[in-house]
Amino acid sequence: MNHAMRPEPRSPGPDVLSELPGELMMWVLIASEILVFGAALMAFLAVRATDPAGFAANQALLDQTAAAVNTIVLVTSGLCAAAAVRAREAGARDVARRWLFVAGGLGIVFLVIKGFEYASKASLGIGTDTSPFFMFYFLVTGFHALHVVAGVVLLAIVAWADSVRNMEAAVAFWHLVDLIWVLLFPIIYVLR
Amino acid sequence: MPARDLVHAWLALLLLSYGTLLVASSGTQGSVWMAGGVLVLAGLKARVILARYLGLAASRFWMRVFDLVIGLFLAAAFALYLFGSGR
Repeated sequence: MNHAMRPEPRSPGPDVLSELPGELMMWVLIASEILVFGAALMAFLAVRATDPAGFAANQALLDQTAAAVNTIVLVTSGLCAAAAVRAREAGARDVARRWLFVAGGLGIVFLVIKGFEYASKASLGIGTDTSPFFMFYFLVTGFHALHVVAGVVLLAIVAWADSVRNMEAAVAFWHLVDLIWVLLFPIIYVLR
Repeated sequence: MPARDLVHAWLALLLLSYGTLLVASSGTQGSVWMAGGVLVLAGLKARVILARYLGLAASRFWMRVFDLVIGLFLAAAFALYLFGSGR
């Protein structure tokens, strides 16, 4: 048998999945959440097409300033969370925990502002059954707020179980919450 | 990631958010330019978060994939907005 004729075993090609930073499953979650919120926002815009004047009138009742402040709160929280990972990677565990508490605290600030926003709507007698606009508003922003709650809990957990891997995964989830908000904000609050 | 890069990303996000407020309050509510502007700004903010906060800048392939997904989403949103506005 002529071994010289046998083809060389192929070396594996570049594995694109290994190029993803952090956990693969976290990226699966990020992609699926983008699709879920994307579908909800598409549905919002499709229903808007049936009653653009009604949607514009309802949207005028939203507090754009509170939502804009919440954007600043979330992106600043994202910075703190990223700084926590960086500190943990450098071995500075206490510094990392402090950054996580600031990030989580800002998440709570976001929820308090959101709570005031919902309370002001309730005081006007506005609920999920008021109109299609408000059904989507409460559904999409409420689902996002639940993600913020989950993110705050995750940040608290990884402040305790603070391996680099745990912290990277929780912080990636936190950035996802941030990412969804910057896509949700203009469509729900600004487009008229 | 160096702290300087993170702070630059954060500053970029603040500037883009301020830009969104400027466009939204420019008195062009309901115009195609306003809608296109805020959606482009949203896409830029998403890109900064993906590239810098989530570290996708390290992979050109995945950055392109997510650029494509976010770009298609925002283009579809803009098309639905135009359709809904009777344009």
